Amino acid sequence: MRTATLGFVALLSLGLVTAGCAKKEMVKPDDSSASAVTTPPPAPTPPPAKTEPIATQTITQAPVTTAPVQETATTEAAPTLLERIFFDFDAFVLSQTARDTLSRNAEYLLKKQPGVKVQLEGHCDERGSDEYNLSLGEKRAKAARDYLVTLGVQAERISLISYGEEKPLDPGHTDEAWAKNRRVEFVIVK
Amino acid sequence: MKRSSCIFIALALMLIPSLLRSQEGYREVTASGTHQLTLAIDVPRRLGGNDSAQVIRDTAEVLQFDMTLAGPFTVAAPPAAATASGIRTGEFDFAPWRSAGVDLLVKSGYTVSGDNVTVEFRLYNVNQARELLAKRYSGRQSDLRRMAHTFSDDIMENLTGQRSPFTGKIAFVSNRTGNKELFLMDYDGHNVQQLTKNRSINLNPDFSPTGREIIFTSYRQKNPDLYRRELFTGAEARVSSQKGINATGSWSPDGKRIALTLSKDGNSEIYTISRDGRDTQRLTNNSAIDVSPAWSPDGRQIAFVSDRLGKPQVFIMNADGSGVRRLTTSGSYNVSPRWSPKGDRIVYCRQEGGFQIYAINPDGSNDTRLTTSGSNEHPRWAPDGRFITFSSTRDGGESVYVMRADGSGQTRISEGKGKNSHPTWSPRW
Repeated sequence: MRTATLGFVALLSLGLVTAGCAKKEMVKPDDSSASAVTTPPPAPTPPPAKTEPIATQTITQAPVTTAPVQETATTEAAPTLLERIFFDFDAFVLSQTARDTLSRNAEYLLKKQPGVKVQLEGHCDERGSDEYNLSLGEKRAKAARDYLVTLGVQAERISLISYGEEKPLDPGHTDEAWAKNRRVEFVIVK
Repeated sequence: MKRSSCIFIALALMLIPSLLRSQEGYREVTASGTHQLTLAIDVPRRLGGNDSAQVIRDTAEVLQFDMTLAGPFTVAAPPAAATASGIRTGEFDFAPWRSAGVDLLVKSGYTVSGDNVTVEFRLYNVNQARELLAKRYSGRQSDLRRMAHTFSDDIMENLTGQRSPFTGKIAFVSNRTGNKELFLMDYDGHNVQQLTKNRSINLNPDFSPTGREIIFTSYRQKNPDLYRRELFTGAEARVSSQKGINATGSWSPDGKRIALTLSKDGNSEIYTISRDGRDTQRLTNNSAIDVSPAWSPDGRQIAFVSDRLGKPQVFIMNADGSGVRRLTTSGSYNVSPRWSPKGDRIVYCRQEGGFQIYAINPDGSNDTRLTTSGSNEHPRWAPDGRFITFSSTRDGGESVYVMRADGSGQTRISEGKGKNSHPTWSPRW
């Protein structure tokens, strides 16, 4: 990674120098005077060393990339008896099936696991715009949360996150896959 | 070629630079009628030092790619009769080029010394046997492609009065490592560099107007937050981490504000914040989804996507949130608007099965489809407004493409590895 960073920085800094005036010389149009070109460059090109302080400095200043945040796969890490609910395309309305599922989930949260907190993950299929889907996924999670709250689950126990279309359950490109991916997942977060 | 047309082209070539410089705008160099200027790129010659097949290949390849995409020219191969000659006036004969119908000739020569290379470029008006432009660049061999791109930009500036964006970079999102990370590459797909390595999900890169920073949304701290990254140092700052979504950030043209989507107040709305995440101002206020803000080049208006009428459509409002009006009226699902640098067009995507890219005038007229094959998303303008980068599934997978603003010249630039999306063209560095 260090090499890559160094390479990148070197590229950028050299690129800047190249793009700037330092290394670029206008050569006079040579109708009669081809000598304008054959003479050695009047201004010495800046030594490459000039770019190195930047590169060296950069390596020491890249704390961010050296500490990658390992994202935990929340969905897989915390298996629960909470069931997913599903949605129609470009919709966040709860179907009767989804309401029935949410009732069972509420009962589980109220009676079996009254101490736990749960994160609701909103997801979308790949067909919409990914930018718009981020918001749609959140609307789905909120619809599920609001219904759980009406069933008595304390709002403080519920957090929300939208993954839009970034985490499909089924990577396929069929109606069946899309239907599986338009969902809210329920993840126990303690 | 007929003598009369020769004379005309010669006249046109003589007049065009001054004509174009005298007026603002983007006129492209074209000859009258159906004749398009023919530009030929001669084989790079060794002027001194060592032979280098790679310098020859890379220099010719870059010029060929740039000039082909550029638009005003038909790029021709050198005629057989014209090989093995010098690059300066008097060192070669214009006649074989002229008789091959070449109007503009690019010659180059190189001197390799160790890791250093010097390349001299010359642009000639063949019909007048006149040199239009001569430049010499030197640097390391790894800078060679950039030198050639720079001369391409010089050519376009000389002939059209406006530099092309061929020395620019394209930032994009790729899952080639298994996670969606940000990458940077030359606009022609070379020199790919991985920017983020946080192994979460990284989305929606947007360059600051200076090109030195990039904002993007990342899940690296378990929420879709907005980050600002300095490209030269790699330093990152989290600039917006409100509860819920902090996404689709878009830098204002003066670099002082960032428009973005936040859902902290209940559902997705458009806000602006300072570049450090302070001074939050809310622009939209309704129960619908409002996302994807895009500034007009004068910073006075913002195009955005809203489903307030049922399905996502593109709207325009003043930068203070007032004066909302609907832009797109055809199609039932229109998203991802981006204003051209000149302000005269807005590109966006329409869902028609997959997505297709359209361009429309800000007053809603002249709504034109630019793509046809595959699903095409995430259109972004090049800084000169003459080119657009976008992602497409037409070759399987998802790759980054470039095209001219009228939809012609569509060319894949990213490799086929993984899904490559959300390209965004850097400002000039």
